[in-house]
Order: sequence, then structure tokens, then C-alpha cells
Amino acid sequence: MTALALRRFPALLGYVPRACLPPRRLAVLALPCLTILASGLLARAIEGRATAGFADAAGLGIFGLAMPLGALVIGDAVLGAEVRAGTFPFTWLSPVRFPELVLARWLGGWLLALATLVPCAGLAAVLTGAPSLAWSVIVASAAGAAAHIALFVLIGCVTRRAAVWSLAVVFVVERLLGAVLSGIAQLSPTWQGRAVFAGLGDLRDLRRSGIPEGWDAVVRLGLITVACLALASLGLRRLQLTGARD
Amino acid sequence: MSALATDPAFVDGATVEVDEVSVWFGPKVALSELSCSFGPGVTGLLGPNGAGKTTLMRAICGLIPTRRGQVSVLGVDPRADRDVHARIALVPEEDAVPEALTPRQLVRYRAALTGVDDRDAVDRAIAQVALTDVADRRLGGFSKGMRQRAKIAATLVSDPEVLVLDEPLNGADPVQRVALIELFQRLGAAGRTVIVSSHVLHEVERLADRVIVVVHGRLAAAGSHRAIREAMADRPRRVLLRSDDDRALARSLLGLEPVVSVELGDIGLTVATKSAAELALALPRLARDHDIRLREVRALDASLESVFAEVTR
Repeated sequence: MTALALRRFPALLGYVPRACLPPRRLAVLALPCLTILASGLLARAIEGRATAGFADAAGLGIFGLAMPLGALVIGDAVLGAEVRAGTFPFTWLSPVRFPELVLARWLGGWLLALATLVPCAGLAAVLTGAPSLAWSVIVASAAGAAAHIALFVLIGCVTRRAAVWSLAVVFVVERLLGAVLSGIAQLSPTWQGRAVFAGLGDLRDLRRSGIPEGWDAVVRLGLITVACLALASLGLRRLQLTGARD
Repeated sequence: MSALATDPAFVDGATVEVDEVSVWFGPKVALSELSCSFGPGVTGLLGPNGAGKTTLMRAICGLIPTRRGQVSVLGVDPRADRDVHARIALVPEEDAVPEALTPRQLVRYRAALTGVDDRDAVDRAIAQVALTDVADRRLGGFSKGMRQRAKIAATLVSDPEVLVLDEPLNGADPVQRVALIELFQRLGAAGRTVIVSSHVLHEVERLADRVIVVVHGRLAAAGSHRAIREAMADRPRRVLLRSDDDRALARSLLGLEPVVSVELGDIGLTVATKSAAELALALPRLARDHDIRLREVRALDASLESVFAEVTR
């Protein structure tokens, strides 16, 4: 990065929480956060099986639903929603390089996820009575959110209906196809996040054959993140900003 | 393109060159082989709704790619060269703004992105559009006109060489309209290339030295509004005449070669003529010969509205 790029990066980053995440969208983000906490409380109801209960709740509720949707709310807000609203030209029409722009938007979104979704996941483990899994679920949700937000930023760069396509990716590609095809699961932030948790927490029930676990899955999520961000930079190059009315 | 400078669609010393540009969205052709250029000063971009003005402005700024042809701004392709965006700016027509930001935050953001180091530039840009008093209020609570002014301030902060303004006067109150027109004229006089589209034609007439008319994605006319009108010499011009004896004047006018028709109305005579210049030469002589006192001679269709109506017909 040049000196000028380093100077403008804080402005790009600061724009994300100030402009992309107005109070209304933050209120929507509260829903997945509450779902994560509710998953922890529900798992607590299973007496004497806190670890297994939390593993089930995390596998289905946290990694299967709340984290992808929470990341979608953030990932769409940082770029796709701006393109739809017609405010993205304020940023696009500047000398900022596309990789710099994509990186700032993703990082802003990920930091928000680290401040909201990820602590909720850790707290859910504590609420369940399985504090030993808190570290595992924190690492897994942080890595999963990074990849998910990068994926949703990419979708925001290549399609105008980013929210609809993002939902389709989560439910059709990740949940439906990823459940039966391990090839898709290997590239899915949902399944890889779950695999991080299974590996780090040594949770046999959540393991899935043919998918890397633990830190290997963290590396895989890192690669997915980088690939999505690189493709998003290319997508911005081809983006047509025709205006909100078109 | 300087060789084409005799064509009113082109100017010498162009900063923005549009060369055979076509843009289409699916089956809809937005621009069709449109060529023109823009130079320092204010140029008005006119055309009916859906004519392709906004598409042309967005193509000039690089927001949309051209399917055919090329756009060059300050010598480079704005879609390929990111650095040129420090020197050009667009005020989009739609009133979408980051509602959670204040005008000061928005202008600061643009200043940071375009590499403006001067700390006073932000305050100056806000003052230029008279938003100083509300600079720290959220844009979400602003009227359409105030949002437009905030967007203009955000573009002015980097002192761009090329300023593209899509309906910038929308929502502005009469006082602000006058102030903004004066601001754009100052920028044009200072050597900036200012391209303004507006549906308020009389304001463009006051504002722009030169007009580009786009109809159905094609260039319909270019030049000053008077030059465009003169170029349409085959269409009769209408002139209002008032005198102390309109009936006698009407009779005498019918014998003149350039006069096509004469209509006697309540407020005077409406004369259709093939050449306003010839009529203007003949009228004093006619009045003297028939002892008629002329009270008013006024071209009815020299305004931009009539020019616009003619070329879009």
C-alpha cells in the first residue's frame, strides 16, 4: 500500500460502522445474536449433557443458522445494500483501488462480527454450562464469519440482488447441497466453521468425513476468505452502477 | 477530435470526449453511437426523460461501461484509470445519501478518499453550499434540496477539474437555485468543465454557455440554444409585434417575403417568419413607410423550451 492508501484506509474503514450500519440494521443484527444466546439457553435444558447439548445447539442453531444469517446482515450492509441504495458512487468515484476498498469493507464488517456475533457464541457456551467449549466456538465463529462476510461482499459486487442471492447461497447451496455433497461443504463457510468447532472442541458427533477439521479448517476458511476478496475486487471492476431506480 | 471542432458537438481543448459511444441494458438501447465533447465552462445536457442523459453522465464518470465506443476524461479512460477520479466528480440525480452521516462527515470522507490534505477545504465546501449551520445534523433528516447541496459539497471538496451534475437543482428552493447557478457559473468561469443536466430548461438557459441535446440515446443538437434555433432555419420562427395600429401592420406584413403567416390576437400580432433576421431588418422601414409606431418586438420561441420542443419533436 502507498502512503496515500494508508492514509485513506482509516476513512474507508470508519465509513463502515458509521454509514453502512445504521441503527435499523443493527437492530436486525440483534436477532441472530439473540438466536445464538437462545441456543445456549436451550442447550442448558438438557440436564447432565452440557457439552453434547451445546455441540448440538452449535451445530444446528449457531453454525447452521444464526452465524450465516448474522454474517449476511453484516456482509450485505457493507456493500450490496449500498449498491442497491445508490450511495456506493460516493466511494467508487475516488482513486481508491478496488482491493483496498474490498478489504476495508470486509474488515469493517468482520470487526463488527467480532464485536457482536462472536462474543454471543462464546457467551452461549458459558450459558449452557460448557465453558470449555467457549474458546473453540469463538475461534470457529470468528473464522466462519470472516469467510461468510467475504462471500457476501463478493455477492454484493457481482449482483444487484445481493440479499436474495446471499440467502439462496446460505439455504440452497450451503444447507441443502452442502449437506449431501462434501465437495460443496469443503468450500462452505457454514460447514467449515462447524468443522473448526468440531476439531478444536474434539466433538465426534459434529465430525464429517472428507472435511478438514480444527486449525486445518481455519486455514481453509482463510483461503476461502482471500479467494472471495480477490474475486470481489475483480467483480468491482465489472460492476455497473446504473443507479437505484434502474 | 480537435479536427472536428467546427462541429458544434465538439469543442477545442476538450477535457471530456465521447466517441461513438453505445450503451444498452438488455434490449433497451440507452445510448446509440453518440459522439460529442465537453470543455471548460458550463455545458447543459438536455433531453426528455429516458433520453440517455443520466447514462451518458454515468458513462463519462466510468460508473457504467460502454458497449461500444470510448469515453475519455482528461485523456484517460475513467473506468480503467482510478487516479483520474481525484479530478472528476459526479452529483447523482437520486437523493440517496448515507443517512446516518452528517454533511461534515460525508465531505470529510470524500476529502480523505481523494487525498485532500487541506483541513479548511471541508468547511469551505460546506460553506459554498450554505450548509454550515446544519453541517453536524444527520443527512437522514434533510430535505431533497439539502441532500443535493450536501452531495455538491462532497464533490467540491476535491476541487475537481470535471464536475458532472445530474439534475443538481432538484428540490432546491428559489434562493438556493440562484446561489447554485452562480456557483456553477463561477466554477465554469474558473476553467472547470461543468456538465449539468436539468429538466428546468430556463435555468439551463441561464446557466450553460453550450447545450447538448440527447434524444433516444442519440445526439439531437449541440451548440448555444440560439445557434440550435438558427440551425433549424426551415422551421418558421414566431415573433410577437405590438404597435399603435396592429391591423395596418398586419396588412403591410403580408407583403413581406420572409413572413409566413400573421395572426391578430388580443395582445398583438403573432408573426411566423422564415428568417427573424430579415424581418428585423424590414420592420423599421415598414413602420416608417406606413406611419406605424412599434411598441414591442419579441421573439416568442428563442427560449430553450421552444428549442427543446423543436429538436425532440
